[in-house]
Amino acid sequence: MAKLYIDGDKYAEPSASVVVDAYHAAIKDLVRRRLDEVGGDWASFVFDKSYDLIGAKDFAAIENKLLATGHRFDWSAMISVRERPEAYKPATGIGDDIKTFSFEHPEAKVAPPDAEGREQRGIGDNVVKYPKNLVGIARYIRSSERVLELLASGVPADTVAIIDDSGGTLTAPILEQFKGVICAGGTVRSHLGILTREYGIPCLMNAKVSGIREGDRVEIECTAPAKTAEAYQTGVEMTAKIWRLNK
Amino acid sequence: MASSRISYAQLLETNNLVQASADETYWLCVTRTVQESKLFPVPAYMMLSYMMSYYRYPSLLRKIESRMSAEEIGDRARNAGIKIQNPSMGWALPGFYLLGREWLINLGLIRPQDAVEDLIYVMDFWKRFQLAWHRNNGHITNKEFGHRGQFLPERRIQVFHADMYDCKQGDALHEAAQNFMAAASQYGFLISCESRISLHNSGPYKLGDDREMIVRDFMDLSESDFPWLDDVARDVPYNNLTVTMAVKDCHFYLVDDWGSFESKPEFAADKLVGVGLYTSDSLSDGYLPVAMGSREELTACFRSLTEKVKDANNKLWRRVAGWSRDQMMDAGAITYFSIVKDLAHVAGVYQVADWMTVDERAERFRPLFNDEYSRDVLVGLCIGAHPSHRLSEYTMMQHSNAAQRLYSLIPYSILQGEDYTPTSGPIYPGASHLPGKLDRYNTTRGVIGLAEYNRMAREARPPALEPKYRHLCETWVKYHAGEPLADELYRLDQANSRLLRDKGSRLKRADIEKLRASSR
Repeated sequence: MAKLYIDGDKYAEPSASVVVDAYHAAIKDLVRRRLDEVGGDWASFVFDKSYDLIGAKDFAAIENKLLATGHRFDWSAMISVRERPEAYKPATGIGDDIKTFSFEHPEAKVAPPDAEGREQRGIGDNVVKYPKNLVGIARYIRSSERVLELLASGVPADTVAIIDDSGGTLTAPILEQFKGVICAGGTVRSHLGILTREYGIPCLMNAKVSGIREGDRVEIECTAPAKTAEAYQTGVEMTAKIWRLNK
Repeated sequence: MASSRISYAQLLETNNLVQASADETYWLCVTRTVQESKLFPVPAYMMLSYMMSYYRYPSLLRKIESRMSAEEIGDRARNAGIKIQNPSMGWALPGFYLLGREWLINLGLIRPQDAVEDLIYVMDFWKRFQLAWHRNNGHITNKEFGHRGQFLPERRIQVFHADMYDCKQGDALHEAAQNFMAAASQYGFLISCESRISLHNSGPYKLGDDREMIVRDFMDLSESDFPWLDDVARDVPYNNLTVTMAVKDCHFYLVDDWGSFESKPEFAADKLVGVGLYTSDSLSDGYLPVAMGSREELTACFRSLTEKVKDANNKLWRRVAGWSRDQMMDAGAITYFSIVKDLAHVAGVYQVADWMTVDERAERFRPLFNDEYSRDVLVGLCIGAHPSHRLSEYTMMQHSNAAQRLYSLIPYSILQGEDYTPTSGPIYPGASHLPGKLDRYNTTRGVIGLAEYNRMAREARPPALEPKYRHLCETWVKYHAGEPLADELYRLDQANSRLLRDKGSRLKRADIEKLRASSR
């Protein structure tokens, strides 16, 4: 079989991803076979014949081979799992199960109720320091369907949005109506962090929470210092608390 | 092919530019924020965009340079807040091309010495543009300048400084400006499919002992190049808006080649003490003031723009929420790939088929780009985790000390006979899952069709670029201020200024402050 230029790599090591390694091994094998089929002349193969000889069908076959082993992909965009549920791990907490859903992050810091009856259920990185803590009602917002629903009905007053998308687009048409945001991802410099800062909405990013359900009253310690770039770069812990309150 | 057309000096320089880009890519990717979205398949479209960039940038840049040199476009870029600043040119032009190249190397589909003449050309174009655009600071990138983004000549900074209106937290102008920037930022993320490439910050410029100015551009807001803004953005009156921001008691110690900043203490709304508003494009002959006649007019304009931007944002969101994954992929990939499309607008050679379609050579990879593979392979490309990145164990990479390099250098062995290939070929046909682009472009010369847009761009002769003025740089001004030619040069930027019209070239920063004080 044809030998590729990179087959002689003195320093190559596997990547950290099983999927990447599986794909790349299969693609390199494909390239070797196709190169053999045209006589091994690299110069005429690389930017000319390979365009016809290596195509979408070949790459689809590589994916199918992996799926046939039982592997199901992690998803990042809701549209991916919605269009191809058979290829992705299932999504939870986005439909009717939202009433019983809660983020359960292993790193969440929890503590028994304090003297004021506040039960700590997590932590997050504070985006902007405000003079007072924020109290509101937790509502999970994790899909465009939910955003569309709230766009039609209006966002209920006092909503503290619980989000796991640190981007600025999923909640774009309703973000301004949130009283507060708890985001289980990103950093204070993520797009959602930038936008909440611009809108003056208290927000904790990179939140690790447990046991907060739809409709719970929550308090965000947005009086904590805002997490700084230096704190991220030096690994200094600088977090604000999230409490669940009596209803 | 063995090399007879490539010199040792060319390879040395190209590899230096590749390595500089590699070092900064690693730093930006590791220290800046992660971009993620539950709405858009971001890593998947990013990977697709890198393929589009790899296959098309060389041909498209050559097409642009057949009309106008990279240096001239760089000179024009200093005079407009359009999408040929950062992150477009400072990072993405070489970055997208090189990330695509590196991925193909890891697939075994190309070698480091394939399409070498393309690579040399892309890096040379980038160098010439960057040096011209940065000529007032003498660096090639913000990174080389210690992460600082000062491009403007004094005559333009003085107009921005002089005409800015004071504001403070709680007053009407401050609130209106802040609300506009929040709404426009959010809209920008949506237009750009979760990326921040509709936004750009440059500066800082020192306005006084306790104040600095940041120049913030919001780009591609109206009906222009992106088909997904047709109709929904019709009421947004300006395609590009530049907000000049005076900030008190806050030092911007870092402005990177992605156009984002860091400050000490953290920049927050209460530190904003002055604002101005401008528009520009490739037809505008520089920055045109928007509602800068009075603070009341400016306040009302910010409020009106905020409402229009919010309306467009909500309409666009509903459109996007109904898209298929392929449509989201195309919009995101086209947004990324076309990040340098304004080069073609300035040169007057913009074509929809060139910039708003997915080249068929890139399209064939689409079945690979599920969310998981795209995420993992992208992270590997950005932090150097793939086999092509590995170097001898003795090596210590900048920033990480790991034995790796983000972009493969061209092997010098091609100079002594090892074969190489020159180019990936011409532009191949492309397609898109999105609706076709309406022939409607909102410019500073009105809403026009593309043929008209290109014609006007080809005819545009910015006065500051006339042979008489073009090379009257900041060093020349230092020794010729007050002379008739220097005054003429300054009057070009002062023509639309409220406070500086016809003031000429002798004014210094303290004189500007006096004029501002007397106008309050």
